[in-house]
Amino acid sequence: MRYLTFALTKGRLASKTMDMLEKVGITCEEMRDKESRKLIFVNEDLKLRFFLAKGPDVPTYVEYGAADIGVVGKDTLLEEGRRLYEVMDLGFGKCRMCVCGPESARKVLTTNQQIRVATKYPNIAREYFYGRKHQTVEIIKLNGSIELAPIVGLSEVIVDIVETGSTLRENGLKVLEEVCPLSARMVVNQVSMKMEDQRIRGLIADLKKVIE
Amino acid sequence: MQRIFHTPEGVRDIYGEECGRKRRLQEQIHRVFRQYGYEDIETPTFEYFEVFSREVGTIPSKDLYKFFDREGNTLVLRPDFTPSVSRACATYFFPEQTPVSLCYTGNTFINSSSLRGQLKENTQMGVEHIGDASPEADAEILALTVECLRASGLKDFQISVGQVDYFKSLLAEAGMDEDTIARLRELISQKNEFGVEEMIREQKLSGELSAVFMELPRMFGSVEVLERAKALTGNPEALAAVARLEEIYEILKLYGCQEYISFDFGMLSKYRYYTGIIFQAYTYGTGEPLVKGGRYNELMKHFGRPASSIGFAIVVDNLLSALSRQNISLPGEPETVILSYRKEEREAAVREALRLRGEGKNVALRLEREAGEL
Repeated sequence: MRYLTFALTKGRLASKTMDMLEKVGITCEEMRDKESRKLIFVNEDLKLRFFLAKGPDVPTYVEYGAADIGVVGKDTLLEEGRRLYEVMDLGFGKCRMCVCGPESARKVLTTNQQIRVATKYPNIAREYFYGRKHQTVEIIKLNGSIELAPIVGLSEVIVDIVETGSTLRENGLKVLEEVCPLSARMVVNQVSMKMEDQRIRGLIADLKKVIE
Repeated sequence: MQRIFHTPEGVRDIYGEECGRKRRLQEQIHRVFRQYGYEDIETPTFEYFEVFSREVGTIPSKDLYKFFDREGNTLVLRPDFTPSVSRACATYFFPEQTPVSLCYTGNTFINSSSLRGQLKENTQMGVEHIGDASPEADAEILALTVECLRASGLKDFQISVGQVDYFKSLLAEAGMDEDTIARLRELISQKNEFGVEEMIREQKLSGELSAVFMELPRMFGSVEVLERAKALTGNPEALAAVARLEEIYEILKLYGCQEYISFDFGMLSKYRYYTGIIFQAYTYGTGEPLVKGGRYNELMKHFGRPASSIGFAIVVDNLLSALSRQNISLPGEPETVILSYRKEEREAAVREALRLRGEGKNVALRLEREAGEL
């Protein structure tokens, strides 16, 4: 039997995924060891391998078949636009992609004027404003603390992930429009899905039972 | 930056052993093409934009390498051979009288996004069988695909066959608009069951239609899938599409290659010119298909000579890397004999080299350098 390789998004998504996999009898003790410096974790009995990667890299590993299966947020999938099979909504990591800004910015979203949008997700922002709202915008790519942009006047609005909305409230910002709901997804390499059909479909079926 | 030492991003030099292996692989495949009666054709590396335009349905215009000629016409480096070969066939052959079988080898150019580890220049070898709409032609093309991969030395591979007509006839029954179809096509191609389910619920279709659409992302696997596909619908055209696959499968048994075949009703190619069966070949060790092909009965109409056609292209570079990752060596070639000689032995050396070459050996002549000579 060949190894099936999982690429997991570092952090909360990975631990939630491992919890879920444990429920269907897939464990990986090595991974629970926080001290470990290993990059790849193996379950020899089931012939499974796991590794952790940064979110945007997970679809890359899966697209090229370096990993057969990946777990990653829908936001990353939308932003990266890779050729993958998106086989399951895992139901955790739920949040929303939203257009946010101060209340005063609400009117610039209705008048079709050119505005500046700061975001970590330029492709999602472009698709939303050009494809759905037909509004011409200037997109400014930032790498963190996006909420700062409207406060210091770098942009009129931002496009970002909203979970509880507390960061927004504390900084006097609001959700102005919702782009789409998000959650963790399981993705599969297109070739692996065909070559390891039985194992992967078995896994999907097992996980489905756990989710429902 | 010392540019002269580098190749641009997305293209590369192939040399030494790798180049030799690639050439031998190409020879193996070409021999199989010839065994199936295909004749060689060469088409130009660049053509008028119209040959690959949106109506033809190849890759998006933004991914094409475009430039202008002196008259201001837009020219394109070919991203795909099928439109070029179809154009040539419409010009020089009469496929409506006798079917035409053509094969080609050459490089294709796609200006894909940077830093994604994809090459922009790829070698493809493929065939086009034009003027034959029969299921026999479909089966022979699939058998030829199997034969080519076997000839390369590959053992563990799979050919996944889809049927665009099944999906198209269901769409016709459902009567959705263009945007919805595009979204649905994408969701099904991604095997996004959850997304398809959500979307179909919004559409308020009949119970039977909803059930089939929701099942599409799951409808792949070995030959039993055909039974499931039939049980799910009463649409006569969709049923005919499945019946055709059954017939193809029966014919493939004659070729003895049914073991490599599986089916996938959720496979919907990006290339819009496909009309009947479409297929892709996969193996371990490469995340991308080795072969892509299908039936394209409408494409020849674009070049003014309607004819039913089918073909496929092998991505040689993908196949080569899969072979090396699976440690499969290509049938070897005799070693090169190096014959080194001193200046005074010249006559004997040349005679000996000619004799050995006459016997079919590979001989390289090397004149030994005198001491102190560079």
